[in-house]
Amino acid sequence: MTVGFTLNGQTQSLSCQPDRTLAQVLRDDMGLTATKEACSIGRCGACLVLIDGKATNACLTMAFQLEGTAVVTTEGLDNDALAAVVRKALAEENAFQCGYCAPGFVMALVALLKENPAPGEENIRAGLEGNICRCTGYHSIIRGALAAARMVQETLK
Amino acid sequence: MDVVSPASLSQALALHAEGDSRFCAGGTALQLDWAKGLAKPARLINLARISELKRIEQSDSLARIGALATLAALLETSNLPGTHPLFHAALQQVAGPSIRNRVTLGGNMMGRTGCLLPALLVLRTKVQWLTHTGGLTGSVQDLLTASASKGILTRIDIDAQHPGERWLFRKIGLRAAFTPSVINVAARLLLGDRNEILEARLAVGGGIVPPARLPEAEVLLTGRPIETIDWAQVHDCLMATIEAPADAFRSSEYRRKVAANAFVHGLGGDLPGRRTFPVQTPPQPLDRPAGELALSRSARPEAWHQRPDVAPKVAGKLAYLTDARQPDMLVGRILRAGLPHARILSIDTSAAEALPGVMAVVTHRDIKGSNAFGIVVQDQPALCFDKVRYAGDAVAAVAAVDAETAERALSLIKVEYEALAPVTDPEAALLHDAPRIHESGNLQRELHFARGDVEKGFRRAAHIVEKIYVTPRQMHGFMETEGGYAFVDDHETLHMFAGGQHGARDCLQLSRILAIPEDKIRVVTSPTGGAFGGKDELTVQPALALLALKSRKPVRLQLSRAESMLAGQKRNPMSIRMKTAIDSEGRLVAQQVEVLAEAGAYASLGPGVLETALEHAAGPYNIENVRTHGRIAYTNNGVCGAFRGFGANQMTYAIECQMDKLARLCGLTASEIRQRNLRKPGMTGYLGQRVAPTERADEMLAAASHSPLWSLPQGLQPDGEWIIGTGLALNYQGNGLGSAVPDPAGGRISLSRHGSIEGGFGLDELGQGLLTLVKTTVANELGCGREDVEPVIGDTARAPDSGSTTASRGSYVVWASTKLAAPEFSRQMRAAAGCILERDPDTLALGKGGFFERGTNSGEILLRYRQLAEQLDDKDLPSVTVAYEFPKNEYTGGNARLIFAFGAALARVAISRVTGEVRVLDLHQHTAAGPVMDLAAYLGQIEGGALQGLGFTLTEDAPMRDGHYLTSNLDTYMLPGIQDAPQRMQSFALESLADGDIYGPRGVGELGIGAVTPAIANAVFAAIGHLPTVTPIPPETILAALEER
Repeated sequence: MTVGFTLNGQTQSLSCQPDRTLAQVLRDDMGLTATKEACSIGRCGACLVLIDGKATNACLTMAFQLEGTAVVTTEGLDNDALAAVVRKALAEENAFQCGYCAPGFVMALVALLKENPAPGEENIRAGLEGNICRCTGYHSIIRGALAAARMVQETLK
Repeated sequence: MDVVSPASLSQALALHAEGDSRFCAGGTALQLDWAKGLAKPARLINLARISELKRIEQSDSLARIGALATLAALLETSNLPGTHPLFHAALQQVAGPSIRNRVTLGGNMMGRTGCLLPALLVLRTKVQWLTHTGGLTGSVQDLLTASASKGILTRIDIDAQHPGERWLFRKIGLRAAFTPSVINVAARLLLGDRNEILEARLAVGGGIVPPARLPEAEVLLTGRPIETIDWAQVHDCLMATIEAPADAFRSSEYRRKVAANAFVHGLGGDLPGRRTFPVQTPPQPLDRPAGELALSRSARPEAWHQRPDVAPKVAGKLAYLTDARQPDMLVGRILRAGLPHARILSIDTSAAEALPGVMAVVTHRDIKGSNAFGIVVQDQPALCFDKVRYAGDAVAAVAAVDAETAERALSLIKVEYEALAPVTDPEAALLHDAPRIHESGNLQRELHFARGDVEKGFRRAAHIVEKIYVTPRQMHGFMETEGGYAFVDDHETLHMFAGGQHGARDCLQLSRILAIPEDKIRVVTSPTGGAFGGKDELTVQPALALLALKSRKPVRLQLSRAESMLAGQKRNPMSIRMKTAIDSEGRLVAQQVEVLAEAGAYASLGPGVLETALEHAAGPYNIENVRTHGRIAYTNNGVCGAFRGFGANQMTYAIECQMDKLARLCGLTASEIRQRNLRKPGMTGYLGQRVAPTERADEMLAAASHSPLWSLPQGLQPDGEWIIGTGLALNYQGNGLGSAVPDPAGGRISLSRHGSIEGGFGLDELGQGLLTLVKTTVANELGCGREDVEPVIGDTARAPDSGSTTASRGSYVVWASTKLAAPEFSRQMRAAAGCILERDPDTLALGKGGFFERGTNSGEILLRYRQLAEQLDDKDLPSVTVAYEFPKNEYTGGNARLIFAFGAALARVAISRVTGEVRVLDLHQHTAAGPVMDLAAYLGQIEGGALQGLGFTLTEDAPMRDGHYLTSNLDTYMLPGIQDAPQRMQSFALESLADGDIYGPRGVGELGIGAVTPAIANAVFAAIGHLPTVTPIPPETILAALEER
């Protein structure tokens, strides 16, 4: 089947099997490997993208579900001001180690901060429940996310 | 599969009438079913275009919800927490935030396993659905009993709750959040003016629990004043009437019990079981060690370096070896045995080879070298030929133009097997009549050690504790699964890019298998997305190499998570029987240890894990009379091998719990008993070996005794549910591979062609922070700037062999190599610069960016490193390579380490009287591992190790039955999530070394995991008087202990 959607602002017309997942489309068909895949069943959050502004697991999104949507991948966050803040704060805090989960965490935090620009630790924990990190013990990510929230607050002042 | 997206309900029904089809709402549950192997329908009817199904209307009295409303949309409905608090609470506990953006209310209900069903059963809910014969209206119960699968659920109307009603929703899972449901409970009590219960509605459901109201219990509650309810009777009734099946993770009784507990406790009743718990005596404060550093960015801002790879990682710009994509690249796939134990009768690949798009099929027949690998024992075939010994064994591999073709080709390979009886238990494996997994027998290794006279020691005992500690088949769970790519270049050199932990050894192993000289194989192993020991052994490399060699094209191959689960290594499960005696003074007088470890199908490093476990059998204590015996057995259960801690953490669990149990018996505190038995400086190691002079167990115990955690609230909390206790455990972890095995190390410092100072190490960046370490260490030693240093790592073509990135050895290797190489490199650099500048080299110093005049602060760069490089021929570029043996002692009686790091972990835990779950509130780790080379990396290792230890203790296991895993992915393998992480963590470092200690920084890769398990177990013991001896701690055993009066 052919589906039409926008990918990082560009119109796309995609021909593939309707049940091909967005994670496969991005990584294997388009070579957009910033989106990581670590479980393929929506249980780790490594493949998060924004679909119509909402953080969504690319591995649980089938091609036919993309029709008419706007998809933003990690590559598409390069010019996003909020993402820049999140990335900076997480990097300064050395929030990640192996980093394979990092793009997914950034995506979840961008989605969280878009909805709630002043999250506390409780909101951050709730917002990251769907993301698994095996290296860090999560506290460095929480520290980075709190720093990002503070930076967002600063820019809003 | 065909997908149709009708615009109206009538169209959807008409399409459905045409046959083999399924309705699809959000599609998440469907995809989980498919991942488990359920067949896809011929046609999927996508309901998402029917916009009326997404509508949400809400008033003060009613929520009118279209079946395709997502859970996220419902959570955003502004008044829902006010009008429907129970429903709102339930929504928040389904899956995680991103999944809730896809999951629809209708989808959650129609799957019949949905977490929301018990909530909807107790709320006044009216549902509408449409079938071929027309619209129907009814209750949720009607929907569940009707053959509604033939229709479309269209609308869910939920009445608002009553003000002042008592309600409850609780999801009990396998971890704190984002968890499969063990059982969900929902309840509402409508109360009258005199607190009499006018109406009671109770329901359970979630996961495998059939969603159902609980009418018998409702009758018991209805019509009575709430204060006169006989809650014990209600509890009994719930236990008798809740229907809940068992699965591999929780028993039926556990599900019923926690549901009954949750109802009774949540509605205000008293829980069965005791309400009195031990009062904890905190340890008396010992002399606090001076100079302990609380690790944080603010503690030493000048030492907080942003790792060079973290910005590219968060931006998704760092290319992992599994990210390589190029147009001519083939995709590889591996055929797994699927049977735990079988003889191979024949392998026919002809149909696969004939499939268009297949470029290479390889089997054992393509192996020119030795079809056996293994770091120490070469017993694992690259591709099986005579037998398969576990379900994940590799039998054949395919490279094709795309993944789909490769997978189709796998299905066309015909392998005939003769099934053999599987050996699935290490105890059974060692019976004399057990089927032989390997010709050599099922006992892979047996180790003995004895000192003194154990019998005599036990005769002197005032108290003896004997327990069996059982530890799990933990999965490494690196986020990047095993994989990479390979190609053969024009010079017939094989290039292997695959995540690993020792490129030079991977090269050696590949050379043996392929019969290709090592100098014709280049192995690149960095960056790797996590390893923790699980990529120390070869993983995909043999198949990948064979495919690249046969197809003559680049091939990429990465295991799916499910395949990684099936084929990848796990931690060796162990059973440790430990018998420990103290005399009347509280001094250890004898210890006997019996370990039975499981190797799985092949040895890999399992024998080393066993040996390391036994080496740590006394922890940091001095015991005169010891006898240890360890065996490791082959089974047909998966494969096991190296994993952070390498046996030491399992043994630390046992010895540290013994200490608390013994302390209780003789009336000492946790610190008193330890203080009486600690190792002292100058003592030999446990096996009698020479050890490095720095001993810090005393200081770690003293630091722990001062912990503020001892003065936080303990005992039963006012909520009546949580019981808090604090536990302590010491940590003693050897570094390096040990005395009995070669442990070569080395490194290189050189000036590169483009003028950077390269720190070349055959070590790997697995996440631990090697790049920062190299930059900092080289810059500090030479005096140049950090930005002048370029780490060159993880590539056998570009960096010298440094040994493996395991066993907490990397930090030492970088530090020691740099120390060794720096003086000569500095001399060469200054000599070359002196020549150009026509100055005496002794007047020059290396600084930030280039050479400066020694002893002045002029700040003028006399010559930049780049300028120096430009003026030198390649052969004249300064370069110093060093090679040496990782420090070890002379001990030959077994494997014994020279260098140890020390630590103490404190856990403050809360134990639920409702569920038996243990949550870690606070986790503090004190460490003594010599100088902190990089603050962020050190902290990261301690914190990260802690959470892996927490998982090992509370949630992680990969159970097996009949040689097959009972979990296949991260839906039921419970890696700790963010809500499992302790509420607060704090890490400390004591950096000093003893006078004359020449061994510098100890590694901390394994220090963070070592003592977490016994700290948690001892905290549980402190809180409820029950010492958990099985991990992950089964909540059922905690509930049983709470019931004992």
